[in-house]
Amino acid sequence: MTTQTFSKMGSGISFSIAMAICRRGVLRVISRPTLLLPIVFMPVIMLISFTGAFGSLTRIDGYGSENIYDWMAPYVALQGSLFAGVFGAAATAEDFETGFFDRLLLTPGSRSSILLGTVWVSAIRSLFPTVGVLTVALLGGLNLSGGVSAVLLLVVASALLASVFCLFSLAIVYRFKTMRSLMIVQLLAFTSFFMTIGQVPLEFMTGWLHEVARFNPTTNVLRFARQGFLDGITWDLTWPGIVVFAAANTIGFVLAFRSLRLIGS
Amino acid sequence: MNKVGMTVSSKVIKNFFSQTTVLAQRSLVSELRQIATVLPGLLFPLLLAFTYTEQFNRVLTLPGFPEVESFLDFLLPATVLQMVSFGASNSGTELALDIENGFMDRLLASPVARVPILIGRVAGSALLAGLKTVIIVLVFLIAGAQVSSGLAGLLVLVVSACLLVVVIGGLSQILAIRSGSQEVVGATFPLIFVMIFMSSAFFPTELMSGWFKRLMIVGWSWSDAATSLGILVLGAVLITSASVHALHKKLGRP
Repeated sequence: MTTQTFSKMGSGISFSIAMAICRRGVLRVISRPTLLLPIVFMPVIMLISFTGAFGSLTRIDGYGSENIYDWMAPYVALQGSLFAGVFGAAATAEDFETGFFDRLLLTPGSRSSILLGTVWVSAIRSLFPTVGVLTVALLGGLNLSGGVSAVLLLVVASALLASVFCLFSLAIVYRFKTMRSLMIVQLLAFTSFFMTIGQVPLEFMTGWLHEVARFNPTTNVLRFARQGFLDGITWDLTWPGIVVFAAANTIGFVLAFRSLRLIGS
Repeated sequence: MNKVGMTVSSKVIKNFFSQTTVLAQRSLVSELRQIATVLPGLLFPLLLAFTYTEQFNRVLTLPGFPEVESFLDFLLPATVLQMVSFGASNSGTELALDIENGFMDRLLASPVARVPILIGRVAGSALLAGLKTVIIVLVFLIAGAQVSSGLAGLLVLVVSACLLVVVIGGLSQILAIRSGSQEVVGATFPLIFVMIFMSSAFFPTELMSGWFKRLMIVGWSWSDAATSLGILVLGAVLITSASVHALHKKLGRP
């Protein structure tokens, strides 16, 4: 069995094509470091802003942590990863605008290889904001009581969140084929992230926001990613996060793949 | 000055104002036509304000927090500031677009003076910011916010928002003239964003004595109003002069 046939699954997904697309995406980031600025610079700025502005929250009884960095760093890292996912899809929009995507469609095998490769790039790109935020947070006074396992959990959560938002963004980009169409996803992503337990615990919230944050799936994602930085990793906080990631990735993949199949039909 | 000299200078002033008005009108119309890009700058700060109000109600009990009925009262100036930060750099972005697509060259070839090109652009954004401030204030009042300084305070808030657009917009124009790129101008947004959070806009600090806040929470004060407007007028004059200087430097003096 040759390497090429080995890398092809029964469904027609060619991992070698997905890998090539992923490699191209990574090389694109390395050759154009300015692309990293929004996904690293913005979260770091947010970390500095939020920890600086809301530092006194830790003085209120019942706040989730005595150290503002422990509370904010995972939140901001995830926010950066979310944008890493959206900007991953932006590269596809650029491919549409330059006409390169038409050439990609000529590749043999299932179109899902293109989708998979793009999602992998986004997952890899999520490492940049996560590492950037953690480095600055450590300099600022992050406790990191959970040690390596807390960091690993955050890295996994960041990669999975980037893939979710990349898939949803791709579902839109494959239909509208423009960079502008991503504004919708950016706005929804930003809004959904604000209406959650990002800055304060659920008990601090009142009125409509309390109910929205309670049922917002992002709340479970944050609990999943943040637990290692607070009271330690527990199964009770882990499984709801896994369920949200699995469901969101599945729905996102189905939507994106449907949009991809419709191209040219 | 003789009669001929006076007639010439009055004609120059008249031309200056008419050119500025036309260009400001163009700027306003182009912003209103792109309502999809204008609306997020209004809706997002409002959304953030109502989210923060439900999030940070407990902080009202913190010692040192100004006495307000709700967090919403405290957030009104911050919301206006954020709205301004979203829209102010548009004048720079639009100027960069004019440079990119060659419209700037056509403007420069026309009999229009150089200064109205810059002031007209910023004036359009400033008018829009004033309008958006009124909308924000109305939404806040409907939601139950109280403004201790009354109508005079609100008027100062509206004028401050307009002047702040001139300051931030002027800075973005300098960048647009120097770089000629929309992307570069757009990249300044995070800096403005962080400056707002680093101030006492969203949260009180131990040193919270800013005029912007005092005007809204403590009540009307002539000295606070004069300081706020004075600083902004000075900033607007300096920044506008700097952007005119940048334009002259790029094109060579006429």
